[in-house]
Parts: sequence; structure tokens; C-alpha cells
Amino acid sequence: MREQEESKDLLYAIRALEIMMSSGIGLEAAILSIAGGGYGIISEDFQKMIKQQKKGKKLEVALRELMKKSSSKGYGKLLTTMYNNVKSNTDVLKTLSMQAAAEEEERNEKMQKYIDDLGGLPESLLSIGMISPILLGLIGLAPQLMGDAGAIMGTLPSNSTMMNIVRIGLGITLIGMAFIGLKAHTKDPGV
Amino acid sequence: MILDFLEILNDYPAVLLLIILSIATLGGGIPPILERRRRRILENAISEVLELLSDNIGAGEGIQQALARVAEVRNDLFGKLINDAMQASKATSFEAAMAEMAVKSRSKQVQRVINLILTSLEGDAPMQDVLFEMSQEYSRLNKLMNKRDTELQSSAFLIIFFVGLMLPAIIAFMIGIFAPKSSGMVVSDLNTIMAYFFGGATGISVLISGRMLGRMMNWFWFVPSLALFSMLIYILGFEMIS
Repeated sequence: MREQEESKDLLYAIRALEIMMSSGIGLEAAILSIAGGGYGIISEDFQKMIKQQKKGKKLEVALRELMKKSSSKGYGKLLTTMYNNVKSNTDVLKTLSMQAAAEEEERNEKMQKYIDDLGGLPESLLSIGMISPILLGLIGLAPQLMGDAGAIMGTLPSNSTMMNIVRIGLGITLIGMAFIGLKAHTKDPGV
Repeated sequence: MILDFLEILNDYPAVLLLIILSIATLGGGIPPILERRRRRILENAISEVLELLSDNIGAGEGIQQALARVAEVRNDLFGKLINDAMQASKATSFEAAMAEMAVKSRSKQVQRVINLILTSLEGDAPMQDVLFEMSQEYSRLNKLMNKRDTELQSSAFLIIFFVGLMLPAIIAFMIGIFAPKSSGMVVSDLNTIMAYFFGGATGISVLISGRMLGRMMNWFWFVPSLALFSMLIYILGFEMIS
């Protein structure tokens, strides 16, 4: 979940940092601007980092702690770039530009994959949603349709037992449908 | 006719409850749609506005002058917002007017752009390049967002159509044919279970469809009405067939 949240706003945060730093703003001021809000979980993380700094913690230590906490690869890379910039005064602009390009490419790929993955969702939902009520409907009708066929079929369960089977079966079908649909949520590229 | 209809629904208390809920929530579902439409109009215009600003700044104009020129050229909502901001900047400061515009836009993208413009201005950055880069980036982003919408919209509506409309109609037909009322079979229990199943299945389908398009909460409002619609198709379909 955290990984998804991080990836959602990462590209915008990198671009914002890139623009701010290319316009001569320092890393700490850029962090402060991002912490101001608008970049989801990244803003929250930066806010916490600033609070820690105010309490006396060094920026590189706060960044290293955040690096350990980060879940997504891209966010980890961004924090490493920032850490290196603080530690060794590296050329952060070029790295940020490359990271943003890579992140954008990844986002496009994720989006295409999401569209492809969900292409078969209507058919999957319809299959389970149609087969189950047809079969369970017939099971529900069985005691009445075949009530007189006891000699051939043996004794059928009572109507109430059959209704309970139908109830449970349709309940499971609903859960199944929800699980099939869950991939629309879990694979969301965050665009 | 109406009394017969109510007599049928009398066996389904959840349907009666859903009728009330549907009326209430249908009204609530419309504002998010209008708000989203407004927001997307603004967001789709960001790229053009930034490109225009970049051109004007490249021609030697200041940011305020460039913004005023954009407001003159554009007759849409974005132009109006910029125009209002320019008017407000005469009474307050430019920064305050832009911040107010960001709030009024109610769009995260517009707010980010304005924040970046103001930050770049503070840092005395090369605005032409900054704005052009941003215009390209937002153009790509909005193309991607529009792509998601157009490519998944048909699947989303297909899910609702299949599960909410086709499925209850087919099952109502099947049960109506196998166990018509005239045969004396008692199928009221089965009908109740099936009707509630279709209500639930349609609700789930609507939420899945909404999630696919990235606006589940907006579609949440339509769950009761579409679930009711699906249940009525089953109940009335069965009555008609049998």
C-alpha cells in the first residue's frame, strides 16, 4: 500500500525538485516546498524530516532513516540522490532528470499493463456471475422439479436445505466477484 | 397497475428501502460528475496555457503581462480564472492572487503548477524553459489520463451492462420458464435470494467499474439506484415471463 502511495506522486515530486533546483533553490528549501503539501505521502515524509531537523537531527541522518522506510524503488533512488547531494555535493540535477525520465517510462508501462490486464475483466465477472446463479437456480428448483422422481433419483434434500445451499453459493459468488475486481484496485498505476 | 407493482414489491422490503436510498443518492451523484468535468477541462488546458506563457515570456514579456495576454486569448474557464487573478492582483499582491487562483481551481495539477511557477519566480529561474518543460510534462500526463478513460470506459460500462442488466434478465427468464407461477411451484424464497444477489452483484460491479476509471467514490453514489434497477429487472422479468 505504501509502495503504491509513494509511486503515485513520485514523478511530480522529482519534477518539482528538478525545476526548483535548476532555478537555483537549495535542496533544503526545495524539501521545505515539497513538505508544504500536494505530493501525498512524500510531502508527509518530508514534513516529518523537517520536524526531526528542527529537533537537531542532521539532514543526512534523517534522509538515511527515510531511505530505510521507503518501499518503492524509485523513491529509494530519489532519497539516495538527495543523500549523496548532501554528503558529497554531487550533481543532483542531471540525476533527477534521468530519474524522472525513467519514472515516466515506468508509469507509461504500468498504465498499458493495467489497461491490458483489465481488458478481460468483464468476461471473467460475467462468467462467474452467470454460471453460478444458473446452476444454483436449478439446484433451488430441484426439489420441486424432481419432487416426484424419488424412485429414480433417491430422496432429495428438503426445500429449506436447498435454499441454504443457494444462499451460501451465491454469497461465495459475490465474494469471488469482489476478489476478481480487486485487481482493478491493487494494480492501479496511480494516474 | 401501480398497486399491483407495489403488491409485488411488498415481498421485498430491501427494494422499498433501496427506492428511498436511490432517490437520495442520485442527487448526490451529480455534483461529483460536474466537478470532475470542470476539473478535467482545466487540467487538459494546462499544457496549452503553459506553452503560451512560455512563448510570451520568450518574446520578452514579464510573467504578469504574459498571464494577462493568455487571459485575453483564452475564452474558457482557465482564461476566466487567470483574468480574475489578474484583477485581484491589482488590489493584493501577485503571489496572493495566484495562490487564490490555485485554491479556486480545485485541481491538484493546477495547484502544483502555480506553486512551481511562484517558486521559480522567487528563485529567478529561466521561466521560458521551466514553463515549456512543464507544458510538455503535463501534456504527456493528461494524454495518459485520457487514455485510461477512453480505453477502460467501454469495459466499465460493459461490466455494468452485463451484470446489472443482462444477467438478471436471463435468470428471470430461465426461472420464469422452468417454474412459472401457474405451475403452482413455490419459488418466492428463491426469487428473494436471487433478487438480493443481483442487487449485491450490481453494487460490486459498479464499484469495480468506478475503480477501473479511478473514481470509485464518485460512482459509489450510483450503487443503490443501479442495484435497485437490477433487482427490479429480475423481479418484474420473472412476473412477466411467468
